Amino acid sequence: MFQPASLKGDSPTPIDENVRKKFIPLYILIILLSFIPVSIMEYFIVLYLWRIQFYVIFILLFPLNLICMIYLLQFSAIVISFLILKMINLIHAPKEGIFERNVKDKEYYFWNMRNIVKKWALFVTASNPFPWLKNRFTLRFFGVRIGKHTLCDNTWISSEFVRIGKNVILGMNSTILTFGIEQDKFILKRILIEDEALIGAKCVLLPGTIVKKKAKLAAHSYSNYDFILEEDCLYGGHPAKIIE
Amino acid sequence: MKSEISAKNVQFISTSGVYKTPFTLVIIVQLYVGVLITILANSWYWNNLYYYFTGQIIFPYPINDSILERVFFICLIPLNIYGCAYLFAFSIILFSVVIFKILNKLSPQKEGIFLRDTKEWKYVHRKFWTAFFPVWLARALPIPWADIFVYRFFGVRIGKNVVLYEGYVDPYFIEIGNFTMTSLNICIFSHLIYQDRVLIQKVKIGEACVVGPQTIISPGTQMDDRAILGANSYTMIGQRLESDLIHVGTPVNIKLPLQSVEESQEKVTKIKESPKKMEE
Repeated sequence: MFQPASLKGDSPTPIDENVRKKFIPLYILIILLSFIPVSIMEYFIVLYLWRIQFYVIFILLFPLNLICMIYLLQFSAIVISFLILKMINLIHAPKEGIFERNVKDKEYYFWNMRNIVKKWALFVTASNPFPWLKNRFTLRFFGVRIGKHTLCDNTWISSEFVRIGKNVILGMNSTILTFGIEQDKFILKRILIEDEALIGAKCVLLPGTIVKKKAKLAAHSYSNYDFILEEDCLYGGHPAKIIE
Repeated sequence: MKSEISAKNVQFISTSGVYKTPFTLVIIVQLYVGVLITILANSWYWNNLYYYFTGQIIFPYPINDSILERVFFICLIPLNIYGCAYLFAFSIILFSVVIFKILNKLSPQKEGIFLRDTKEWKYVHRKFWTAFFPVWLARALPIPWADIFVYRFFGVRIGKNVVLYEGYVDPYFIEIGNFTMTSLNICIFSHLIYQDRVLIQKVKIGEACVVGPQTIISPGTQMDDRAILGANSYTMIGQRLESDLIHVGTPVNIKLPLQSVEESQEKVTKIKESPKKMEE
């Protein structure tokens, strides 16, 4: 919902500087390519509708044109980054585990590369007036599965290795992290949230957490690495421990 | 039913946000109205500009053509763009306030617990989604106090000299007194969605309160005048925070007395001196 800039769910994914330098041209290319469909659409609209007979129609349709532009830009950004992501995954498929935090390590290098490719699509969808697009639409292209009737518009969800069930409630401004950087170690692990789970506001789920059916996590707490929240129990604290 | 939701386990959880419903399409209607009003209000100015650049007119307005006027109109472009942003935002704000008032007439605001698919449940979602876009726009404007005006339009009572720039606030059933300061990343909820029911309770924040950073204020909280909520803590449903005390904890369970700066510094010097004496 209506968050100010400090609460906005834009991706804070850290990207290693050594990798970032190499892939800035690729990042700019993605941005440029995603503007092509929008500019083609605008060209034809102006070509056919900007005439003396059609001025009134053009002006009445302009707001809808604006909405179409927003949606088309998002869609083209998603499609382009999705295609490039598929190509990168063909070269090196993403894996779970504990790795070295070093550019020479292949997993860490490709994880950074994936983040650069996803960045533009996530940025565009996070900074538009339609708050449901990021988690419900964009993340689905990157392999995140979110079930029906789930309340998740206000949370920041990592863009891979996440699966969320039906009827889940995720609190305002909580974070679901599938990556962890611990000094010189780099951790990538799956997070699973089963049906009807309930997670409070401002929680943090660290990689490897499994939330079983109807489990609850109290507001303002975080779950440790590889922690399992059992069925029908209430957890809370720093890190989370069983309360009831 | 009331005892069920205010049971012990709910006290620890405060989630918020509302489900996505088909009513979210109201954002597109708001955008349509806003852009149309901006275009029509500026039609006279843009008509002149279009004439100076191409020699044709869009709207049938009279045009006086002279070099001085051309320079004047072209120099006004930056001001026009700036003004358009405000006109766009405020037309949308006023339009959505009208929708909000109509929704309030159809289903007046009520406190209590409501099940899924009741009338109240639906109208809570509708009111939230109408309030979403104007607040989003006000937050995007370069003046930081714009969102306070928007909240006042929607019926949130916010007093004078209130600091409320960087936090999530629900659009109704909230009262904030004069001279209250709120900090970064706070959430003030007057509603809570718990499995298949929604709880709505009024939040009252008194005069000259301080709400620390990263805090959550759950529905039904009452903060008396000059009460302080410490950083990283959250209140339980229906909790009362007494005046002139600092309240800390997740959920709030510790009360600390207020101190002046001199008093706290005296204590610090005492602590610093005491180990030296031990060594001697």
